[in-house]
Amino acid sequence: MTEPRVVERFKKRTVWFHWIHTAAFLVLVVTGAILFFPGIGGAAAGGLTRFIHRIAVVFFVGVPIVYFIINPKMSFHFIKETLTWGKGDMDWAQAAPLYYFGGDEENMPPQGHVNTGQKMWQFVVLATGVLFVISGFFMWFLKDALSPGVFQWCVILHDIAFLLAFLMLLVHIYLGVIHPRMTESLRSMWDGKVSKKYARSHYGKWYDEVAEGKK
Amino acid sequence: MELSRKDFLKASAGAVGLLLLQPPTLALAKESQTQEGVAMLVDVTKCVSCWWCYAACKNYNNLPETIKPDPEQPPPLSPDVWTTLHPVKKGDGWVSRKQACNHCTDAACVEVCPTGALSYNEMGFVQYDKDKCSGCGYCVEFCPFGVPQLEGNKITGVAVMDKCTFCQDRVANGEQPACAAACPTGAIKFGKRTELVQEGRERVDALRPSNASAMLYGDKELGGLHVMYVLDDAPEVYGLPADPEVPAPVMVRDVLKWVGVGAAVAVVAGFGLNYIVAREAKMTAELPGEEYIRKRKDEKGK
Ligand code: HEM
Ligand code: HEM
Ligand code: SF4
Ligand code: SF4
Repeated sequence: MTEPRVVERFKKRTVWFHWIHTAAFLVLVVTGAILFFPGIGGAAAGGLTRFIHRIAVVFFVGVPIVYFIINPKMSFHFIKETLTWGKGDMDWAQAAPLYYFGGDEENMPPQGHVNTGQKMWQFVVLATGVLFVISGFFMWFLKDALSPGVFQWCVILHDIAFLLAFLMLLVHIYLGVIHPRMTESLRSMWDGKVSKKYARSHYGKWYDEVAEGKK
Repeated sequence: MELSRKDFLKASAGAVGLLLLQPPTLALAKESQTQEGVAMLVDVTKCVSCWWCYAACKNYNNLPETIKPDPEQPPPLSPDVWTTLHPVKKGDGWVSRKQACNHCTDAACVEVCPTGALSYNEMGFVQYDKDKCSGCGYCVEFCPFGVPQLEGNKITGVAVMDKCTFCQDRVANGEQPACAAACPTGAIKFGKRTELVQEGRERVDALRPSNASAMLYGDKELGGLHVMYVLDDAPEVYGLPADPEVPAPVMVRDVLKWVGVGAAVAVVAGFGLNYIVAREAKMTAELPGEEYIRKRKDEKGK
């Protein structure tokens, strides 16, 4: 029996934002990786992939700005949520191995709207976003004005951001799409909703707040 | 003596004529593959700033021709200028160092090129394949001598890199590079690298008694340059860094590349392991123990 999916986790516009931004991000990952990983650089011959990288940048930067203008309150909330860390996060970290491998739900403290792992992803997205924008714009627009040394370290900054973002993205996709216990995750990023049962077991603290009508 | 534009163009034509008369040095190119390869030795004390190397390079490589440059405003390297002079005023006259790619043994440009457009030729110099170039400009920014040049669309980034080719096709056919062949004074010599190092040292020894700062530049630098210089002054005077190095970020990027490959493999392997364990645990949790075991047996029986 499938549970009715009635608890709203994401607003429609957030869902749209997520997927448009994801499309831009994936294009950036692929066109960037071609220049970075050994052995596949031949795909950049002629410069087409570099041009596509730049087009994707316009969306990668533009879409969040548009979202921010439409939803300043939610955006600030997102940033605040991402930067708020506490003892609860330590408790999550302690319970996480048994939870994600063994499925031990007893010892996992109830989580808020997003759990600590998701918050880590949000943090990586924000932090590397800043690194990407700074180093990327330097390399794109200030190439002639900068000393070669600054350009060189911008490439390294871009590389470090890429490694963090790319590896965490793999984890993000795995948990959202494949992990046996995240049964409703992907659908929640499709129509924004999950079942009560899923909400209670995965985001207990948040579910209680929603149920009490606080939010 | 000032050459007019007409003289200069005639000189370039003459230089080409001279090229045709060069004795074949095919044997040299062949033999050198088992040695340290071929090289050029530029002797600033013999250079008379005639700009013939510059003209011959343009002529041979079909680059747009120009009039003889003014030493006060030497043309910088560009996609249309693969070799130029770095003139230095000494007394009443000019002394020049020929400036072009130095064809390093440890070449930063080759190390950073993402596409493999730049690579080491087995004869020792640094070759490039324009069809493979992505126009990223990393070589431009990482070369310790600022040699590669690239002008393209600043917004789209579409561009193709150019630099001295060591006249690869000529050398492969057993001829000298066009500039070396054109040089009227022997200030540019082409030959086996080991022999040119020897010759450079002897030349420096000869200059030393009257000039303590005479030196051979490029025998050790960056693993050994394939364009070396006999200098009569400090390298900086001639626009050469005293201690050129492959920039540190080159190595950092190489390490990050392989860290990335390793970490990606490890993470994906971790997913596989996690999936097996977590799925098993989930099934065990959902079914009472005995029933689960029975189900597994049934599955195996099928
Ligand atoms: C504001 C955003 C960004 C800008 C302005 C930007 C711009 C650039 C530029 C200018 C380059 C140098 C190569 C070239 O000129 O085409 C580059 C390389 C690269 N980009 Fe981006 N980029 C951005 C975001 C991203 C993102 C989000 C990723 C991946 C998640 C990414 C991955 C890469 C990679 C891997 C390289 C190659 C670095 C290397 O060769 O070591 N970039 N980017
Ligand atoms: C193919 C790629 C992707 C897939 C399949 C995917 C899937 C998902 C799913 C299923 C969720 C909901 C998680 C839940 O609450 O249960 C989610 C949330 C989220 N995604 Fe993605 N996503 C992808 C790419 C991205 C990218 C590229 C970014 C950012 C640059 C991103 C940022 C986020 C953020 C910030 C959240 C909310 C917090 C969280 O759940 O971690 N996602 N994604
Ligand atoms: S001088 Fe510059 S362009 Fe020439 S081989 Fe060395 S690093 Fe490469
Ligand atoms: S500009 Fe061309 S030759 Fe230079 S590093 Fe990039 S791909 Fe290689």
